Amino acid sequence: MANKTVSKTAGTNNRSFIDRMGGQKFIVILIVIALFILFCAMSPQFRKYTTVVSILDYSYYIALMAIGVTFPLLTAGVDLSIGTGLICYSLIGGYLIVHHDWPTGAGILVTILIGVVFGVINGCLVALMDLPAFLATLCTCMITRGLGSIVVGGYGIPWPTATQPGGWFRNIFKIQMDGMNIPIGFLWIVLLVIIMSFVLNHTKVGRYTLAIGSNKEATRLSGVNVKFYHVFAYVICGFFTGLAAIAYSAIFPTVQPGSGAGFELDAIGGAIIGGVSMTGGVGSITGTFAGVFVICLLKTGLPFIGLTANWQQIITGLVLIASVLIDILNRKKEGK
Amino acid sequence: MKKKVLAVLLGGCMVAGLLAGCGGGSSSTASTDSSSEGSEGGGGGYHFEVVVKSFQSTYWQAAITGVKAAADELGVTVNTTGPNNESDIADQVNMLNNAINQNPDGIALAANSQDAVLESLQSALDAGIPVVCFDTGVPDAPEGSVYATMATDNEAAGAVAAENMYEVIGDYIKNATEPVRIGEVNQDATSANISGRGMGFINKMKELIEADGKTVAVIGNQYYVDQVENNGDEGSADVIIEVAVPAQTTVELSATEASNIMNKEDTIAIFGSNQVTAEGVLTANQNLSVLAATPDEGIVGVGFDAGATIKAAVADGTLVGAVTQAPVDQGKLAIEALYDICEGNEVSDVATDAYWYDAENMEEDTIAPNLYD
Repeated sequence: MANKTVSKTAGTNNRSFIDRMGGQKFIVILIVIALFILFCAMSPQFRKYTTVVSILDYSYYIALMAIGVTFPLLTAGVDLSIGTGLICYSLIGGYLIVHHDWPTGAGILVTILIGVVFGVINGCLVALMDLPAFLATLCTCMITRGLGSIVVGGYGIPWPTATQPGGWFRNIFKIQMDGMNIPIGFLWIVLLVIIMSFVLNHTKVGRYTLAIGSNKEATRLSGVNVKFYHVFAYVICGFFTGLAAIAYSAIFPTVQPGSGAGFELDAIGGAIIGGVSMTGGVGSITGTFAGVFVICLLKTGLPFIGLTANWQQIITGLVLIASVLIDILNRKKEGK
Repeated sequence: MKKKVLAVLLGGCMVAGLLAGCGGGSSSTASTDSSSEGSEGGGGGYHFEVVVKSFQSTYWQAAITGVKAAADELGVTVNTTGPNNESDIADQVNMLNNAINQNPDGIALAANSQDAVLESLQSALDAGIPVVCFDTGVPDAPEGSVYATMATDNEAAGAVAAENMYEVIGDYIKNATEPVRIGEVNQDATSANISGRGMGFINKMKELIEADGKTVAVIGNQYYVDQVENNGDEGSADVIIEVAVPAQTTVELSATEASNIMNKEDTIAIFGSNQVTAEGVLTANQNLSVLAATPDEGIVGVGFDAGATIKAAVADGTLVGAVTQAPVDQGKLAIEALYDICEGNEVSDVATDAYWYDAENMEEDTIAPNLYD
């Protein structure tokens, strides 16, 4: 447990080039650029502005989930409920808007609020009642999946389209200018990455989250209200899942009950590629952000170069192994 | 500390209760009775039990509309039940067993699991209650228990999409001097319904194009390509049909596969063979804006099934049309078949039609009831 913090401070005088450039983050950004160039070279369809917009469109909800889930991961926990949770919150918010004529703003607030509520529930189960995070959030994953379907009664929920009244929220992520789609959602995501990086590195909430992941007992003994900050990590995750639900509803025409399982793996995968350690205590928001784009590029790029479904999955798996291996090898080197 | 934990827990429970309460109205398993006036004389007062896959989805509400229409017409009474969710297999088996215990004159069943209902079908047989399956057949049913099956002919449904698409793009293909491409996005390469539909579309389209003297090559997903007879050569064919299957059945990945095809210069048309993939085509079009009414203006899009998003796209012309299955007909036919059995008439399997709908006809009485949200 203790050597995790050591790796952060050790070898400050004797750092490799990669470390000086930001460690794994640097490698991941290189991978993103390399993948992008590779796909551009191999597919004329990929080299289009619309493809870039599509990749960004489909990255928002994963990026938001990934920023959120980074916090539980840093406490050496995990939140598996974010995928089905996203769909559940979006279904409930959308149901109020579509079937109960709530104003879109109120629906969005409810969506985010339910995300926060489930964050609190997850946090209490894990931090206060000492359930293993994997188990607790797997249960809330099941609960959210069932709950969403029950509330909407099996109906898919089409959030208002951009041209319908109440469809303004779709313009949060994409505006039209001279017939061009401008993916302004990317700006908001970058902004959130900057804010959450600050929160993680320069506020109590962030520092204690990292400390809990490194050594919970030592953190507790130094007088930190460990339980509160542990719960809070899950609340942040729930809040961002709520935001992700809005992003998902804004990009896709219909939200289908029963879907969402598997989304969490894209987000967690992105965070891990970006250098977040599954044993907690190590990681960054910017790394997670870069990692998400490895996943998104693979998801969009592989079909474009003509690989069929089965090959796409094999290659995605191999790239994940490679990125995690690089991290492990790096850390072993530092340890010596 | 303990008190705090308790307080938070209670708070959580309250919120959960609230949320559950919100949905409570629609969550309980529903059951409705429908009977017709003056039925006793004409209909011999038969009573049928109907078990659907799920009482919640709009698709099944459409099927129940058909059931009730037939019941009114024939002067019989029906009782309709179904579980909350299509995956509630055990619940449905219980409902089926309850239906058998009511000792009705017949049972109409849309089975969620083709295996789980076998035992119940045996007891229905032992009790002498005739069963008619609709929507989904039960191939291994005990000999003599299922009298007939009313389900969509998916191959024919795919062919309907091809025929109607060809009406729009046929002239363009005949006059084309360079090869053109038609895309098809199928949700998977495993389920019988989807692959039947996919192949129905491919085979019909190939047949129509070849009848006009052009050559066709089918490329893309191996599972579908392998099933094509006399496949042409990609390099020399006049028309290329490209079949894509997403790695997972999400709208996002369907949209990515669709974008790939829709980005190609020579693409003139695309078909999404179920609700998810048709929505994928529409999602891709949000950024590409290439879907159009004719191949001269852009890419002709055709969808499958209904749902609010697809209906809206058909109504405003983004998709030239879509194919819907006939849940209303299936419900109606199932009751009619049960009635015939009771009257001592012969019944046989019916492959129900799939309907083409577009902006023109989607309001018509024969179509509108089959378009669920």
